[in-house]
Amino acid sequence: MPPPSLAPFIIKRPWLLNMLKPVAQLYANAAGYRQLGLRADDLISEENETVLQALKRLPPKQSYDRIFRIRRAVQLSLSHKLLPKNEWTKPEEDVPYLGPLVEQLENEIKEREALDTLEVVKKH
Amino acid sequence: MISRSALTRGSQLALRRPCAAKLAQRGYAAVASPKASYEPTDIAGVKVAARDDHGPTTRLAVVAKAGTRYEPLPGLTVGLEEFAFKNTQKRSALRIVREAELLGGQLTSYHTREALVLQANFLREDLPYFTELLAEVISQTRYTTHEFHEEVEDVIHAKQAKLGAVAVALDAAHSAAFHSGLGAPLYPTSNTPVASYLNENSVAAFAEVTYSKDNIAVVADGASQAGLSKWIEPFFKAVPATSPEPLSTPASKYFGGEQRIPKTGISALVLAFPGAALGASSPETAVLVGLLGGNSSIKWSPGFSILSKATAAAPGAHAQASNYAYSDAGLLTIEISGAPSAVRKVAEESVKALRSVADGSVSKEDLVKAIAKAKFDLLSQSETSGTGLVHAGASLIHGVKPLQVAETVKALESVTSDKLKAAAKGLLEGKASVAAVGDLFVLPFAEDLGLKKRSHSRTASKSPLRNPPIMTFAWKAAGITYNRYLAVASRVVRRSLKEEKRLAAEPRGETEVRFAKWSGGKPGEPKNLAEANAADIITRAGAA
Repeated sequence: MPPPSLAPFIIKRPWLLNMLKPVAQLYANAAGYRQLGLRADDLISEENETVLQALKRLPPKQSYDRIFRIRRAVQLSLSHKLLPKNEWTKPEEDVPYLGPLVEQLENEIKEREALDTLEVVKKH
Repeated sequence: MISRSALTRGSQLALRRPCAAKLAQRGYAAVASPKASYEPTDIAGVKVAARDDHGPTTRLAVVAKAGTRYEPLPGLTVGLEEFAFKNTQKRSALRIVREAELLGGQLTSYHTREALVLQANFLREDLPYFTELLAEVISQTRYTTHEFHEEVEDVIHAKQAKLGAVAVALDAAHSAAFHSGLGAPLYPTSNTPVASYLNENSVAAFAEVTYSKDNIAVVADGASQAGLSKWIEPFFKAVPATSPEPLSTPASKYFGGEQRIPKTGISALVLAFPGAALGASSPETAVLVGLLGGNSSIKWSPGFSILSKATAAAPGAHAQASNYAYSDAGLLTIEISGAPSAVRKVAEESVKALRSVADGSVSKEDLVKAIAKAKFDLLSQSETSGTGLVHAGASLIHGVKPLQVAETVKALESVTSDKLKAAAKGLLEGKASVAAVGDLFVLPFAEDLGLKKRSHSRTASKSPLRNPPIMTFAWKAAGITYNRYLAVASRVVRRSLKEEKRLAAEPRGETEVRFAKWSGGKPGEPKNLAEANAADIITRAGAA
């Protein structure tokens, strides 16, 4: 279950989105994962069934790249270093690739639950 | 005076019974009227075959020209079959299944060698829902990667594990008989390398090619014509009218031959001969199948047909004759399965039996029995929905006249023992296709059974243009040995070289071998091999 988010509210209103976008970028840069060459979706905790299933659905290339980024970040973290600045994750590279899959799986689970607890109303 | 005990509940029931029986009879009489044949119509560009017996249930099927015969790459038909009723643009696979369950419907997909069938069985009043569902499945399935890996592949592997020796042997017999096209396996075995061809993208491309209005037929059994014409038009609007690239459908040609595949477990042997095609008027074949029989009509007895008698000598074996009818070819098969030695024995017996039919030793009574059996098979097949449905759809998409039951029954009745004899003789004289699967140490070759793998030279000489002489072995045709052929060829090469090269090469061609024939323990006169060869060629030429 994802935590409550204001994102849908903001995305619906373009003026608000435009206003807050620089702030969001600032926050993402300050969070420090981009300096380790990670993407935001690399930070999704994989210790649950849904995310594990979503990871299985990743295309092989994306899965390989994800592992590479994580291992590189772990190595950097152990050696207390950052990547050279030209290798930092650029904002346009920082696209969600795992989030949509997790969302799709959550929808599937929700649908199954809804169908399991369905109440049949007979019209005739 | 009637005693009170006589008026118990039981006797009251007995009194009521005649009345009840009459009611029941009336009900049966209404149902027992013969079922009509499928009536082909055209609704908004979709070919539809429908019949309505006003029963409470309906069977609606989309029959597509996408059987294994038409798949451009191996395994695509199977992939498309398993992708049926998966996620579509509008709803998920789970929702499709749950909704069908709520309405009490059944969804199935299966394929034959020529057709892929998506079928829904449901209550009569749910026609709009299931018409929409079938149209949605063929036009809006999403063919997602994760479904392919998580569901489709697993089901295919499970089905491959269940393939028995008989199925493999039937596939092998078809492959020997028709090579490509109809010879493609009905279900790829686990040894077939399909992984490089079968993926969600290739299946989606195949679906795009096959699911168009000119490639499919909708077959309805038990739906009203009004309902069909009302609902098919709006729901099948999204299905394209013509296929972007038409399927290649070369005409089937019968080759014949032999295939042997080792396999553990029970053994199977399939003897196949050219049979009757779909819509072809050859009632002899149907009667011959009825005569050979194999399947027992009663429990706990092997039965009394020719093949049943053949299996009596080898308990545990099972033999059965059938005719596989396709749009432009047919295959009459005898399928034998069981322990290897039993299979061998039954195979020998059944070829002997077929030979006796060809000799005309069929009694009048047997002929009557066989005709009755053929008639029953035909009628029950057209009545029970499954096969009748597929046949109606297949004949519609191939433009063959749908089965006319009354006419065919009349044709069956006209079969005489002479016609039957001729048909059996034709089988034995033509090329057979024999597939042996299992313990090959025991299973017989076609030659052992006395079947021909090649047609008569008489038939071969009829069409010299069709079988041009193979030029690869010209030296064989010339009647010289391979060594001699090499010597002649190299001599020609040497002599055509330029002068200085030729002088250098010439000595290489000279061999000095002497030989002597030993007779009675003493060497004969030693001769030069080259001279002897030259003399031999001269005598041969003189003889020719």
